Amino acid sequence: MKLTLRPIPGRRLAEQLREAGVEFPCGGEGICGGCRVRVVSGQIPASGPMRLLLTEAELREGWRLACMAEAAGPVTVEVEQWSARVLTDETGTAVEPRRGRGVAIDLGTTTLVAQRVHLETGEIEAVETALNAQARFGADVMSRIQYELRHPGELTRVIREQLGAMLRRLAAGQPLAEVLLAGNTAMHHLFCGLDVTPLAGVPFLSPHSGARRFPPEQMPWRAPTLFLPCLGGFVGSDLLAGVVATRLDRKPDQQGLFDIGTNGEIVVASRKGLRCASTAAGPAFEGGRIRHGMRACEGAIDAVHIENGRLAAHVIGEAAPRGICGSGLVDAAAKALDLGLLLPNGRLIQNPLPLADGVELTQSDIRQLQLAKGAMAAGLKMLAREASRLRLAGAFGNYLHLGSARRIGLLPEDVEVEPAGNAALRGVRMLLLQPSSREERIGRILAMTEHVELAADPAFQDLFAESMRLEPFRFR
Amino acid sequence: MADLQKLYDAVLNGDQKSAVSITKEALDEGCDPMELITKYMVPAMDEVGRRFECEEYFVPELLLSARAMKGALELLRPLLAASGAQPAGRVVIGTVKGDLHDIGKNLVASMLEGGGFEVIDLGADVAPERFIEAVQEKKADIVALSALLTVTMPAMRRTIEAFEKAGIRDRVKVMVGGAPVTPQFAREIGADGYGENATAAVALARQFVQAAHP
Ligand code: B12
Ligand code: FES
Repeated sequence: MKLTLRPIPGRRLAEQLREAGVEFPCGGEGICGGCRVRVVSGQIPASGPMRLLLTEAELREGWRLACMAEAAGPVTVEVEQWSARVLTDETGTAVEPRRGRGVAIDLGTTTLVAQRVHLETGEIEAVETALNAQARFGADVMSRIQYELRHPGELTRVIREQLGAMLRRLAAGQPLAEVLLAGNTAMHHLFCGLDVTPLAGVPFLSPHSGARRFPPEQMPWRAPTLFLPCLGGFVGSDLLAGVVATRLDRKPDQQGLFDIGTNGEIVVASRKGLRCASTAAGPAFEGGRIRHGMRACEGAIDAVHIENGRLAAHVIGEAAPRGICGSGLVDAAAKALDLGLLLPNGRLIQNPLPLADGVELTQSDIRQLQLAKGAMAAGLKMLAREASRLRLAGAFGNYLHLGSARRIGLLPEDVEVEPAGNAALRGVRMLLLQPSSREERIGRILAMTEHVELAADPAFQDLFAESMRLEPFRFR
Repeated sequence: MADLQKLYDAVLNGDQKSAVSITKEALDEGCDPMELITKYMVPAMDEVGRRFECEEYFVPELLLSARAMKGALELLRPLLAASGAQPAGRVVIGTVKGDLHDIGKNLVASMLEGGGFEVIDLGADVAPERFIEAVQEKKADIVALSALLTVTMPAMRRTIEAFEKAGIRDRVKVMVGGAPVTPQFAREIGADGYGENATAAVALARQFVQAAHP
């Protein structure tokens, strides 16, 4: 399967590839080689890590690491993962061949990804990505819900129109056999045109969070459409699809799936079943409420190292620094701790702390980070204490540097942590390719899942306060 | 003799164990409970508030200090009640209906207690009627409303409207706060004051009381 991308100012090619659904098994660290793509036309320069992982011959044939890719002009690449996926997928995820083409969609609060899949072979034939057009009506789910309450139906129209245009390009004039979507609970309600009032107040439980089917005539793309059911509360079908992709429902061996964002969602498997919860972090990981915070795009500091005993920042696109994104913030805090410029209680010895030309870290930035990471870690401690392995879903989890996340106490030290790529999209695709067992599997996952309300637990406050300290923690 | 400066330090450093043991010792030696509060604990909490204000302290430190103060206060409260000592004022506090976020509200409540106020904490997800009941029953001077969600801010307005309907609006001063709340919003819904943080809440409450009894 080939993919053509044009450079977008301010975005790295690696980021575009990831959003198109290329998975970065090691989180884009350039150490696993699992993200290989082959350049068919255009240029992706071979960088240091690529020379280490790929042989001279492979480089000559055009093989590159997607996670390290940069390009100045348009490129077309062949994604090895996608052609091989159907063959190499774990047992039980085989394709149940049927005629025609289907589309799998990951409907995120910020980004949308749609893949056209050949239903006979399981091959991904085309991809469309975009920023969610609803974003201009509010960045986070709460503000979208509030907008919807005041302007009923408008956000539903916006998203269906946007997806309509994307699917028209994907279908390229051919009929689609089926469209499957997953997204968080707010995205589910807003796509399906459901009343969001229950999501706007205690107990934040909607009676309409089940699967929704739409006959072809109701959708702009004229194909039978299914929005997968939410797991419970604010934990949506993106996590349900993640469970499918990571097979949490089939391996009751204390594994957890964790999606870090403005909202953190956790699912943990044990012999007794699955337990899920959501914990609100706030926008710090997306650069929100941070003095020089910004999203991860060109000009953002995305990594911080120590060089000669001083902080050294890496800027996306090797451009002039304009601000700092979530992974940079976590890195900066971790390295500042190492240098003693920041104390575990969150006090900055030097306020503000300069990171690069014109970009600095303030005391209040650290406080926002403490709130966000404190809420995440507290949620983990309440739900995942038994887990021996954590998979990280979602964009931030894939870009986060694990060492730094452990250093500041966002993730536990004594648990194996591994990025899971876009697990939601992969799960939707797997369900798309297995129509006959789909319903049963979803039903079983829902039946074995219990939603836990963290706000209801008096222990949360103490765990939250304890978790605000910037120091490593262990589960056991 | 109990070293009372250590009570101040214990509260300031959030050391509940020492705060409790020094208070016990002081009471055994016949110290005046009111003096322990006004001379040591209130100034300590004021200093905690000052450090929070200038970003030296943060939520965890605040919670620890509040806990140390509470531990000591629990020993003193029965004695105060018996002696008929009057608090600086009575505050009914709660997170408004629909909202379960209570950590900020708990901090405000503790700081108010540390500031010498009697605090009636109704918890979270509190309906307007329960605020009204508590105001009437406890003869409160001040109501403090907290909200952390943009979607529950309108519940603050509805609570104040319910006060009007119940005919108690003139009897109490209403202050509002919480991360999404702004001074503008406070004015719009007819609240008497807005506090950005727990320290501001104490200053505001003192202002209210002073205006009522100049
Ligand atoms: C901790 C937390 C939780 C905990 C709450 C635990 C608890 N028992 O309180 C849990 C995980 C349960 C939770 C759940 C939810 N949360 Co929450 N949560 C937070 C978080 C991370 C910190 C809030 C906090 O405790 N801050 C620390 C305290 C000390 O600060 P504070 O509350 O602002 O209080 C200070 C001042 O505001 C002021 N103050 C407060 N009250 C008052 C009152 C008066 C009178 C005065 C004068 C001053 C004052 O003084 C305080 C001390 O200085 C924030 C994000 C953030 N970074 O702020 C999100 C956040 C508030 N939550 C949010 C959301 C959406 C939710 C959920 C709806 C979704 C979910 N993820 O499940 C649920 C709903 C819960 C419910 N049923 O109400 C959003 C709200 C967005 C919005 N636009 O409305 C936020 C902003 C995060 C985000 N952007 O996504 N949450
Ligand atoms: S090398 Fe592991 S994701 Fe690129």
